[in-house]
Amino acid sequence: MIMAEKNAKIRHQGRVSQTLIYLGKLFRMLVFQNDWKVLPMSAVIAGLVCFVVGANLFKTMEGTLMGSFAMACICIWNGFFNSIQVIVRERPIIKREHRSGLHITAYVAAHMIYQAFLCLCQTVITLWVCHIARVTFPARSMFFSNSVIDLGITLFLITYCADMMALMVSAFVHTTTAAMTVMPFLLIFQLVFSGGFFSLSGSALKVTNFTIAKWGLTALCSQGDYNSLPMVTLWNTMVKMENVEYDGLKPVSQALNTIKEQNMQDELLKWSGTQNQNAKYDFSPDNVKKCWGFLILYIFVYSGIAVISLEFIDRDRR
Amino acid sequence: MDAASTQDIITSAEIFDAVYQFLKWLLLSFGYYKIFEKCAVNKKWAFVPLVREYKLGVCADREYEARIYTILTLASALIRLARYFFDPESLSYALLGVLMLSCMIGQLVYSIRIILGLIQIFGRRKRWLFMFILFETPTTLYWGLSSKFQPLKKMGLKEMTVESSDAHLQDIADGLTVNITDRTVTDFFRKKALLKDIHMTIPKGHMVLLLGGSGAGKTTFLNAVTGYEKANASIQLRENDLYKDYEKVKYDVGFVPQQDLMRGSDTVLLTLSDAAMMRLPADVSFTERRKRVQAVLDEFGLAAIKNSLVDKLSGGQRKRLSIAMEYISNPTLFILDEPDSGLDGVVAKGLFKKLRSIADTGKIVIVITHTPDRVIDLFDDVIVLAKDSSRTGRLAYYGSVENARKFFRKDTMEEILLSINQKEEGGEGRADEFIMKCAKALKKDTKRKAG
Repeated sequence: MIMAEKNAKIRHQGRVSQTLIYLGKLFRMLVFQNDWKVLPMSAVIAGLVCFVVGANLFKTMEGTLMGSFAMACICIWNGFFNSIQVIVRERPIIKREHRSGLHITAYVAAHMIYQAFLCLCQTVITLWVCHIARVTFPARSMFFSNSVIDLGITLFLITYCADMMALMVSAFVHTTTAAMTVMPFLLIFQLVFSGGFFSLSGSALKVTNFTIAKWGLTALCSQGDYNSLPMVTLWNTMVKMENVEYDGLKPVSQALNTIKEQNMQDELLKWSGTQNQNAKYDFSPDNVKKCWGFLILYIFVYSGIAVISLEFIDRDRR
Repeated sequence: MDAASTQDIITSAEIFDAVYQFLKWLLLSFGYYKIFEKCAVNKKWAFVPLVREYKLGVCADREYEARIYTILTLASALIRLARYFFDPESLSYALLGVLMLSCMIGQLVYSIRIILGLIQIFGRRKRWLFMFILFETPTTLYWGLSSKFQPLKKMGLKEMTVESSDAHLQDIADGLTVNITDRTVTDFFRKKALLKDIHMTIPKGHMVLLLGGSGAGKTTFLNAVTGYEKANASIQLRENDLYKDYEKVKYDVGFVPQQDLMRGSDTVLLTLSDAAMMRLPADVSFTERRKRVQAVLDEFGLAAIKNSLVDKLSGGQRKRLSIAMEYISNPTLFILDEPDSGLDGVVAKGLFKKLRSIADTGKIVIVITHTPDRVIDLFDDVIVLAKDSSRTGRLAYYGSVENARKFFRKDTMEEILLSINQKEEGGEGRADEFIMKCAKALKKDTKRKAG
């Protein structure tokens, strides 16, 4: 009985202490294992995207939509690659440690903190690459004195949300092969159902509410003041149709010449943009706050599911 | 032909079709009924759709495939049902159709796997697969009714033929008392008994060998003893009830898994330090913890390589580190699952000597090993687990090594293992005989003590 009473009084490390122990392990892994490679990889990807879509980002409506979509995509890509294998590759080890007293909440919390650090680094790297590539940042800011900080928060939340989704998958599947098979499906789902780049309607449009890409893209377009930007599609189409003849005349060419002579080109582009405004991309803090809110909500949902699925790790087959 | 007579013809065709379908189902079910009878699977399930497919998988020793097949069949039926609620012109209807097609492809693949399993169990040629696919009903009837078609092994559960000891041992003061009535799992549609009727008392300071063939329930037994997977049992470690106080007592039990499950990118010292932080009580000071880590490093011969990465260690060093991780909390009960796997004879012998020295400090050490004879002189006792005729893990012997040789009339542990292994595994298939003998001895012993 004395022994039993003694055992009952003994306390072991709680969740906070265990989180710190695992955080130490993860940061050591960043140095000794290949985890650090995700940082230069994010720089390379950001460089490629800036090279392709950076020129018109936050300058024209089309450039902003395409560029924001590309930025959201690289954030999702980075997030997915950060954590898609982190749990599944050490699943038997977690099972052993769970048996000897590991709290799953502490384990996931350590991953959440560590991944937040990685995502923050990647966001800073992406913004820095954009700056080097002379990408124009939005002229107006919403919450802070510098629009780069506003943009940085959105990029961080997109990356972190994708990271947590991948963490959830990593906690759910049992093999790295399964994780790497699921990942492309998730990625395609995010791209197709981003709700801005591809035209969707009906129930398909409702599905977009469940994607990180939709909320990320909407926040980026809002912060880029999409609705105040000129639209160039009409002008470019007119230029392509310049030589079209009708009854021996070239009406499009004549119209273009008149616009140029009267120096109304910018006005036309602005007017064209006004006709294609989208209320969800309004330069409004409420819009952006709503997007951030959804991203934060998903972060907690994904990490919660990761915890729940890992709680069943003892049922893994030997 | 008037409208009324046309209607009459259609109705007759429908009735004929319904009767034909019913007869086909009846004959098919009867065919499976007879096959299930041969496989010792509960026959009545042959008439229940879904369950029949699962049970056929059990019959064919393809239980996993049968589960997937059943789930796919269910999903396919649900999707078919859901499609009634959608407009046939809508996108959702088309998407459900795609899903249903995917399920049906899966069903086909898994049914082929199950049938191939059945063909293998019955020891027939693979060409029978085409007969099953093209002419399922007559083929099933032929297999079920013909006495020429008999399974090579019966996969279903048979009635228990080996009696129980009904023993319950008294707890011993300084040791481990195990009273497992049974350990069952409900798996999909059936309840399986993994362990049954295992009773023993292991005094402190004993090093015990756990012997048993493949699937005899060695790991299940250890998990039940440590409280990791609870059984219908009472496990007493010293004064503690392992099941009631599991959250506290689990730190007093060290379990070393077969694989060296450690992070390769950490150093030996940090791996052990983290293990110490996780396993030692929270009020142990930093200095005390550091001393304990250093002591364990010295004891397991790891001090010289404490700054090496785990990935760089040899097999023997990794194994020692894996054991040290559990030993750091100084557990009373120390369990090792094949600690010598992948180690050469000399290193393995050294490892077992180390375990002997741990047992000599008053610990209980239980070890599973598949090469026991080279180190048998280091063990005090041996537990022999065996699969009985219903494939449940049972106690075939517990006692000293010397008495084990007399009990089984064998000279070596490997010979003992061969005697209890099933015939299809190359053994003598005498498990039931020894389980019965052991149960009788236990019953007699319990009566004697009670008397």
